[in-house]
Amino acid sequence: MLDGVTTPDGSILFDGCDTIVKLWAKRCKEKAGETAHREKEFGIWQSYSWTDFYEHARWIGQAFMEMGLRHGECVQILSEDRREWIYFDLAVAGIGAIPTGVYTTDSADQLAYLVNDSQAKFLIIENDEQLDKFLEARDKMPGLQKAIVLEREGLRDFHDEQVIFYDELLLMGRKAQEKHPNRFEQALEQVQPEDTRMLVYTSGTTGPPKGAMITHRNMMFQLVSAETLLDVSSEDEQLCFLPLCHVLERIFSVEQPIRAGAVVNFAESPETVFDNLREVAPTLFTAVPRLWEKMYSRIMIMRSEATPMGRVVFDWAIKQGLKKAAAKENGKSLDPVSGLSHALADWLVLSNIRSMLGMTRIRRGTTGAAPISPDLLRWFAGIGVPLSEGFGMTETAGVATVNDPRNNRIGTVGPALPGCEVKIAEDGEILIKGGNIFKGYWNRPEKTAETMSPDGYLLTGDIGEIDEKGCLKITGRKKDIIITAGGKNITPAEIESKLKFSPYISDAVVIGDKRKYLTCLIMIDQENVEKFAQDKQIPFSDFASLAHAKEVVNLIREVVTETNTEFARVEQIKDFRLIDVLLTAEDEELTPTMKLKRGFVEKRHKALIDQMY
Amino acid sequence: MTTVLDVQNVESFYGAVMALRGVSIQVPEGQIVTILGANGAGKTTLMKTVSGVIYPEKGHITFAGDRIDGKDPEKIAGSGLAHVPEGREVFPFLTVEENLRLGAYSRKGAADIEDDLDMVYSYFPILRDRRKQASGTMSGGQQQMLAIGRGLMARPKLMLLDEPSLGLSPLLTQEIFGIISRLNHEQKVTMLLVEQNANIALHTAHYGYVLELGRIVMAGDSEKLLNSADIQEFYLGQQGESQRGQKRWKKRKTWR
Repeated sequence: MLDGVTTPDGSILFDGCDTIVKLWAKRCKEKAGETAHREKEFGIWQSYSWTDFYEHARWIGQAFMEMGLRHGECVQILSEDRREWIYFDLAVAGIGAIPTGVYTTDSADQLAYLVNDSQAKFLIIENDEQLDKFLEARDKMPGLQKAIVLEREGLRDFHDEQVIFYDELLLMGRKAQEKHPNRFEQALEQVQPEDTRMLVYTSGTTGPPKGAMITHRNMMFQLVSAETLLDVSSEDEQLCFLPLCHVLERIFSVEQPIRAGAVVNFAESPETVFDNLREVAPTLFTAVPRLWEKMYSRIMIMRSEATPMGRVVFDWAIKQGLKKAAAKENGKSLDPVSGLSHALADWLVLSNIRSMLGMTRIRRGTTGAAPISPDLLRWFAGIGVPLSEGFGMTETAGVATVNDPRNNRIGTVGPALPGCEVKIAEDGEILIKGGNIFKGYWNRPEKTAETMSPDGYLLTGDIGEIDEKGCLKITGRKKDIIITAGGKNITPAEIESKLKFSPYISDAVVIGDKRKYLTCLIMIDQENVEKFAQDKQIPFSDFASLAHAKEVVNLIREVVTETNTEFARVEQIKDFRLIDVLLTAEDEELTPTMKLKRGFVEKRHKALIDQMY
Repeated sequence: MTTVLDVQNVESFYGAVMALRGVSIQVPEGQIVTILGANGAGKTTLMKTVSGVIYPEKGHITFAGDRIDGKDPEKIAGSGLAHVPEGREVFPFLTVEENLRLGAYSRKGAADIEDDLDMVYSYFPILRDRRKQASGTMSGGQQQMLAIGRGLMARPKLMLLDEPSLGLSPLLTQEIFGIISRLNHEQKVTMLLVEQNANIALHTAHYGYVLELGRIVMAGDSEKLLNSADIQEFYLGQQGESQRGQKRWKKRKTWR
């Protein structure tokens, strides 16, 4: 329990508020005309205030009340990140209903599944493209009352009884606001800490997705508990680009900024993140490992294109940076001479690298949702970007452990949040208890029971250990553990993250359960491997021919061989295959954060796997 | 089947713009290979790079067993590569026959030039009727026929055809492509064909490449390309059934 902020009935107070929506209403009132969000319109950044935020959300909330949305009912949001996403999020939560998001890359069938599973009454649709998904699957969603479309472009002649547009909804809300001026505020006051703040569907590599109910209390716990570890101030600038349906982005781009009044900038699209990063130069930035990996490989490619002299200076500067980072990691400071050469390196090279990455103002970078290579964390520390790794899952309402940027234990995911208890079961599984543990799965008590131990711990399904400093180290997923035919237990995650450190490998899946030896399926990084092929004059036409080129296979073989040297014999990869189709987020093999899904990959590419045994 | 043309990792610039970013293609003997692509994809740059009008910055081009990258265009033409350029480019003040004879300029003193002239006239009878006419006074379709005929007169081992359908009526386009097919069948002319009209190009060619922003994004025999969902949506203008009867958005390209 958190001391000092927990009331006798168990709710957690921050700024005198016990729910996210109360805190939000308070923040909006205080900050009023100050900037809450920034979004690009026709290529120019526009600012939107906290008052805009509150008023729009109130109109939306009022309109939903007019249409009969009740406490505890769900609203699905099918849209890319944009400020309206967050308006709807708070509007729905404000009247005690439950917002939940759908990935824009999901298919019409997946959409129908989520709408039905959540028993949603309303569906928010971003544009004509997403609308077509709804129209395709509407017969399968009998419970849905209305769909609300945000953008009118391309839909001038479109009329449908079940569909209304965002501006119509706002108008309805304005009228309702005149009629019942205090209705929204009254509803907001009635929201209880134990009410579900949001429903977050877990990506589910096995079985259909389940909706995790995250309460206001869970989120208040996150805000209070992480206050010192992940401090945010009203001066902070953030960039929002990961899907808001995911709990990670929701915490960092909705709840945290509400806590502190920071500014959230929306990236134009997932493809423009690097440009947007440079434009915004955020002070806080949260991303998945894949994005940090991409940044690293971008810089390494620039290095390879530099003049020989440039390369020497670059390598020297990175060495100085790494030296300083290593000293800091060991709790020491640099001797004066090294300090001076570091200052020179920073002035000449490192500061330029940071500005190329849009990291000129970065105060704290965080990474989570997938394992990241310790070498990469050290590299970022070396160029002066403090990057700390955390751990959490949907069921822990986001964060469970996180490294203190001032005392970063690289290779671990840090200590448990204050008020949260992490322990290791006898079989190595990580167990977590605390105010951040979710309320349960929506309409699936039996699944909830399966994931909780009798004494109230969450069974994370991850295995790991706790070091002498109390920091958690994740070694892998419990169900991913490979038991080879020889009876050896192997956690593939460690091997995979080593492989991924190569700029040529974007993801890998180690295979070997009940087999004689380990093998691996590898997804190559298109950009970097194409560049390699072009530099080495290796002919290729499309992606498949690139993946089949002998030299490319040899290149990856070198990476695999090198990785093997770091592991014991039984953990070494004997053979590998490259996946020769370019996967996109629409493919089932990939999660929306572009990770390979083990189960699907093993099924889809069975032929490739069989070749290796 | 021997490879007549082998282009490997070619990079070419159009002024400061990198128009080809590492293109590799192959043309086997006796086949028609087509390059599809939108405006500005780099199709014409690729043709010009092959025929030597533009020197590649990087990469190799092998034609009939010899390296030709960096060679001058007249040398390359002399070794048996005929380039039928985009927009026909016939000599407007010369007669049809003079234009055709110029096509055989590199075949010094060959006795069978007259036979070839007959062969060209047999494929394009209209050119025989107009052989004394200044070619600039002919219609676009006739000029296109002349340009192809002029290319044939070199007895090329490979003919580059850059947008033969440009500015032609649908009927004339079909006629020209019919003749291109026949030339390939009967005269065994190997061709590299650049075309905006993906439908007719894929029905004429044996193999195809899709060029986008200077890169090959897809390759395969014509059958495969015709059946690809992306080709159908982005090049053949077929759209999946929409619920609303109108569709503004495009799906993401995956090129498989």
